[in-house]
Amino acid sequence: MNWTCEQTELLLTDYLDGLLQPEQQHAFDLHVNSCERCTPLVSNVTHAIAGLRALPELELPPRFVYNVLDATLGPRETVTGWAAVRAWVRGIASPRFAYGSLSLAATFLMLVTISGFNWKKPRIADLSPANIYRGTNRKAQRAYARSTKYVSDLRVVYEIQSKLRQDNGLPANSEGAAPDSNQQKDPGRTDGTNPATPRQQNRANDINTHLEVLAEDLPILSGRFCFAWSGKLISGGLLEGRYR
Amino acid sequence: MEQDAQLVQQCLQGDGSAWEELVRRHSRRIFNICYRFTGNRTEAEDLSQEVFLRVYRTVGSYRSAYGGFATWMTSVTRNLLIDHYRRTKRDRITDSLDDSMPVVENKASSARRPDEQALLGELSSQVQSALTKLSPELREAVVLRDLQQLDYSEIQTVLSVPEGTVKSRINRGRIELARILQQMGVRPS
Repeated sequence: MNWTCEQTELLLTDYLDGLLQPEQQHAFDLHVNSCERCTPLVSNVTHAIAGLRALPELELPPRFVYNVLDATLGPRETVTGWAAVRAWVRGIASPRFAYGSLSLAATFLMLVTISGFNWKKPRIADLSPANIYRGTNRKAQRAYARSTKYVSDLRVVYEIQSKLRQDNGLPANSEGAAPDSNQQKDPGRTDGTNPATPRQQNRANDINTHLEVLAEDLPILSGRFCFAWSGKLISGGLLEGRYR
Repeated sequence: MEQDAQLVQQCLQGDGSAWEELVRRHSRRIFNICYRFTGNRTEAEDLSQEVFLRVYRTVGSYRSAYGGFATWMTSVTRNLLIDHYRRTKRDRITDSLDDSMPVVENKASSARRPDEQALLGELSSQVQSALTKLSPELREAVVLRDLQQLDYSEIQTVLSVPEGTVKSRINRGRIELARILQQMGVRPS
């Protein structure tokens, strides 16, 4: 089939829309690939269509719909007086607005409380930005110091515990292990049935004294934790069996 | 489409909310057609508003046999755009005479707001500019086909011309647009 440049121009849209018959399509392709005039034509038109289809859809001008409605249905009734107030309250009484307001209030209360504001004896001066900053800074420093001390004390306790185990030749992770009932009684080892030597008794007394001091310093250790830990040592035979 | 027909029925019975719904559903599309045809935001807004006023007055003459309500609205828009084009032809001739004088500033680009320029982007701005240089009959065919994605039968209904003419106009419009873009120095990458 002989294909001309005029045919290419005439049937370009059909070609781009895929509406040509197979033999027409073949002839079109053959011609366009070898024609200096038609190759850029097809390329430029394809580019133009792509440019058109990439044009963004514009947003409506603000109030367009209201203007149309005013022009067709007439202006809406203007609400005044108490009706306007009620309409305003109805507008802000949505669950989303209420939730947002509550969240904001809760955040504000938390921040004020953290900054050291005394709710029992409130003072306006406490709400000044400088005082809020100072109070928050002081609280933050105190919390940091307490946490540092807490970590340090925990390390001391752990070191004492490790030392005790080391001195008695126990593995580091045997505290929770069940005792071996068939354990051989080697010379020099105790199983809690033999009386402790005076030296071991003295060391146990020292450790108890250390624990009491720690319990006084650390509020968290002064409660159940400390007694539970001591009890565990005692029930496990670490203190009672070995040092008494 | 069925929902549009139902809303039209409610409209005819005096239901204001149905009319509001119709306006909300079609206003953006109508505004975009007007903007792509005129290339001017203010004109497009005024024309779109005029389209809705005309539709409101003549909605009783809409028959579902004519096609979908959207097609009918597009047809109303097209007629109004052509009327507007003819009405403002004399102004444009005066403008083009003014343009032939040595003026440094480009009137088309200066009439566009800066935010509009940024929104369009350079290529979009060039394509829009090329589009407004097409003759109205080619421009409307290209806008309906390549921007509104209408099929040939819908365009045939809107333009009230045979399908062969629709195809021919789309074809010529695309080739002309490519030629204008090439003259503007916009080439395929």
